[in-house]
Amino acid sequence: MLKMTHLSKVYRTEVVETYALRDFNINVNEGEFVAVTGPSGSGKTTFLTIAGLLETFTGGQYHLDGVEVSNLNDNERSRIRNEKIGFIFQAFNLIPDLNVFDNVEVPLRYRGMKAPERKERIMNALDRVGLASRAKHYPAELSGGQQQRVAIARALAGSPRLLLADEPTGNLDTQMARGVMELLEEIHREGATIVMVTHDPELAARAQRNVHIIDGQVVDLAEDPRFHHAVHQARANSPA
Amino acid sequence: MFAYYLQLGLRSLRKNPLLTALMVMAIGCGVAASMTTYSVFRATSNNPIPQKSSVLYVPQIDNWGPEDAADNKGEPPPAMTYTDAMNLIRDHRARHQTVLYPADLSVVPNDPSMLPFRENSYAWYTDAFAMFDIPFLYGSAWTQDDDNAHADVAVIGRELNDKLFHGANSVGRDISLNGRQYRITGVIDTWNPSPLFFDVVNTNGFDDASEVFIPFTRAVDLKIPTNGNNNCNKDPGPGWDSWIHSECIWLAYWAELPSTADADSYRQYLTGYSAEQQRSGRFHWAPNTRLRNVTEWLDYQKVVPQEAKVSLLVSLGFLLICLVNTVGLLLAKFMKRAPEIGVRRALGASRKEIYAQFLIEAGAIGLAGGLIGLLLTGLGVLGVTLVFEPDIAKLATLDVKLVLLTLLVAVMATVLAAFYPTWRAAQVQPAWQLKSN
Amino acid sequence: MMQIKPILAALKRHKAGTILIALQIALTLAIVCNALFIIHQRLDRVARPTGLDESNLMAISTRYVGMDDKDTGAAIRGDLAALRQLPGVEDVVSINSYPLRGGGWSTGVRVNVDDKKPKGHTTLYFSDEHTLATFGTRLVAGRNFQADEIGEADPKSVGDPAVVIISKALADKLYPDGTALGKPIYIGDTKKPSTVVGIVERLQVPWNGNWSDTFFENAIIEPFRLTGSFTNYLIRSKPGQLDALLKAAPAALYKVNRMRVIPSDRGVRTFAQVRERAYRADRGMAILMGVVCLVLLAITAAGIVGLTSFWVGQRRKQIGVRRALGATQHDILSYFLTENLLIGVGGVVVGAVLAIGMNLWLVTQFEMARLSVLYVLVGVVALLLLGQGAVLAPALRASRVSPVEATRSV
Repeated sequence: MLKMTHLSKVYRTEVVETYALRDFNINVNEGEFVAVTGPSGSGKTTFLTIAGLLETFTGGQYHLDGVEVSNLNDNERSRIRNEKIGFIFQAFNLIPDLNVFDNVEVPLRYRGMKAPERKERIMNALDRVGLASRAKHYPAELSGGQQQRVAIARALAGSPRLLLADEPTGNLDTQMARGVMELLEEIHREGATIVMVTHDPELAARAQRNVHIIDGQVVDLAEDPRFHHAVHQARANSPA
Repeated sequence: MFAYYLQLGLRSLRKNPLLTALMVMAIGCGVAASMTTYSVFRATSNNPIPQKSSVLYVPQIDNWGPEDAADNKGEPPPAMTYTDAMNLIRDHRARHQTVLYPADLSVVPNDPSMLPFRENSYAWYTDAFAMFDIPFLYGSAWTQDDDNAHADVAVIGRELNDKLFHGANSVGRDISLNGRQYRITGVIDTWNPSPLFFDVVNTNGFDDASEVFIPFTRAVDLKIPTNGNNNCNKDPGPGWDSWIHSECIWLAYWAELPSTADADSYRQYLTGYSAEQQRSGRFHWAPNTRLRNVTEWLDYQKVVPQEAKVSLLVSLGFLLICLVNTVGLLLAKFMKRAPEIGVRRALGASRKEIYAQFLIEAGAIGLAGGLIGLLLTGLGVLGVTLVFEPDIAKLATLDVKLVLLTLLVAVMATVLAAFYPTWRAAQVQPAWQLKSN
Repeated sequence: MMQIKPILAALKRHKAGTILIALQIALTLAIVCNALFIIHQRLDRVARPTGLDESNLMAISTRYVGMDDKDTGAAIRGDLAALRQLPGVEDVVSINSYPLRGGGWSTGVRVNVDDKKPKGHTTLYFSDEHTLATFGTRLVAGRNFQADEIGEADPKSVGDPAVVIISKALADKLYPDGTALGKPIYIGDTKKPSTVVGIVERLQVPWNGNWSDTFFENAIIEPFRLTGSFTNYLIRSKPGQLDALLKAAPAALYKVNRMRVIPSDRGVRTFAQVRERAYRADRGMAILMGVVCLVLLAITAAGIVGLTSFWVGQRRKQIGVRRALGATQHDILSYFLTENLLIGVGGVVVGAVLAIGMNLWLVTQFEMARLSVLYVLVGVVALLLLGQGAVLAPALRASRVSPVEATRSV
């Protein structure tokens, strides 16, 4: 589903070149639920933005659903984002001027769907996150957990093959976080591929597979349990 | 998608009514100022006889010499002497030709209870009716024989015909002009070319319609004075006869030359004529002649008033400032929504779609500005009388073309102004959102 | 003023907005300067005195219908006699033209018979010994015409007058040493001198356009009443009697001879109407430019308010941080005022260049005078003040941002 080989991302400023990702390799299979962890600044968010075609990369290859994406233009990239990918952000990123219904509708609009189909999909998605009754509310009128559910509904409405989540529970309290996590697991069970970036080991543990990024490179812990252990240890010892 | 973007645009505009009102008013004022002044400019720079403006020519002959011409950038005088005009008529080198002047004529109604009144009147040759495409309501122009016979005949205008004959066909009846009877050969339909190209020198291009026309030959016989300008470079001497045979200029001359070849040979003729006048000792200088068609003539005579040009320029500058203002406000408005743009981009909106969304929003502002502008243009056109002569002011009207132009200019200008802010909006990276957290 | 460096650094990050405000200020300055200049020029022109007792004057233009030219002299004398008998008439003349009428005679004047070029340009008024009393203009030297000096002349055959009265402006032009009285002048291309017997304080030409600006107070009164079917009667009323005469005078003329035309639209006019008509374009242009200036300034001010408000909104967090770090409300206020001043200064520098450039271009395209630097200075000060005024409200709002904002996320 998602395959990056020898991928690199360099940020250039006037003075220095910084490698955000270096010889980065990862392969996520269809239907997997992968958690990406790593210390801050390790490059996990950069990975997610590249995976979501929000940003371009400097070298290497990235195949998404079998398509090499580095040569696509803005229109084609937008189309893929719209049809194949769903995003869930830490800060929800709902559009404050639009009500719940209209927010969920945004990606469907760009797909040029007819109104009845849009409506059906929106209501289904909202049903699924348990917010069908709040369709006419504005984001400011909802709690953080509800807002994130709307964001998930928005991500689901277009039936994407790949869900990308960036610290989806980062702005939520424990109880709300649990609810969101259960929702993601349910979505996964129904067949979606999910890649989730988190720094929370507890959440990461609930994924099928953990990928750890350090200094812009991947260490696939599923393949090396000892390393997994060592990292865990190091983290526990470090003073938060 | 258009409807969606329009809906989004309107929602966004409603969200900040003050800013929206500011932009709409700025565009409305700018467009209204431009359109109001343009309406005057359009009227004064109008081509009064488009079908013939390139075949009707004014010849100019320098009969005053280089010293006077030097005061006028070397140009020959703008009017003609009786001597030259009669020579040109006699030589008959154009298909149609006429000499003309505004004759000082007053109409004496047959009804003794009515006072005499003045009408704008011209003395000219019968060719003028055909040359200037003057439409006839009844009858026709007088004949060339009438010209040659110096006959007491007249053609009158529709309005005068209504006044004197209550609109009836008056052909063959008499009209009393300056107390002398003339036989009416025709009544012309409403005809008032604007600018009044055939007598720009005396009217500056704008005057009421002319209602009386009589043969030039007869008018000169009767010593009917000109109602227009008379310019002499030296004392013509006493009396009418010495005046018309002097070097005083007071006549307009028109020639119809159907092709450029005709015009070229006419130019040669004018040069030859001037050379002949030099040989005969009348001119002491080399031939200095001009031949201008209607468009060139109106341009040379600066028919468009200075006020019309200056105010149009100032208004366009005004519009430009309003647009710069709009660029700034739109930039602020659009960049405020950078987070929204980032999300939309992430959710699959291409740059093109961002362009569409924001340009349509700008178009809506432009349209609103255009409607306000239309209202203000209407007021402006009414207020034109404050700035311009009534003869010119009444030409400035808010017609369908101006209405459409106003709306078009408003929308186009606003969309144009929105390009930079929209470009900036489209540059917002979809990744920006993730990074900022 | 210690803040200038960081402000410049911040402005660099808002290049587009900065340039837009500066550009708007520059363009506004350019247009406002030139518009004010046009207004001033036009108002100056409108304010020029004609030299006449305008408030008590009226003019009638009339033409006889079907009368032989040789009979018109007597007819005019008859009209004058009838008008003089009307109650309320101070004096009346038949004259070829009068100031602000728009059409008349003009010619060159020489002081030596052999001069090739005229020494001055002038208008010619043809009238009689009642002219000065009717105009209400004052003799500053010499005397009025005497009745026996007045002649009648066909406009096509006016001879050279033995005596003339001229305006002071023309006298000074022809004899700059002030000795014009009693001296000869040669009108047009004549060989016969006319002697200056009187000099009047002021008398304008009949035109008020640009082309007569070089000689707008140069006038000669020749002691001839012109015959011919067309004439103007200029009537001076006794104070307060003008309104009654507007009806009585034309009625009296029709009573003498009804075979005449007094046009309905400009046949009978008070001098106030003559003046209104003559200066309509100038006054209108001044009004138009005034409105344009006001709206322009309003729009520019509103634009500054709009963009600054946006910047303040964008920088709330930043302002909060500054406040948390100890900046006073006054510091924040002066930050935004200084920022605006810097942009304004940039704008007015460009604008001053634009204003002068635009004026130079207008000078080449239209008959306009050079812009005085004073206008640019006034404009510069006005726009800087406008900018400070416009930025005040958003700046005050910024200064009230609470330090708590620093702790809020976005």
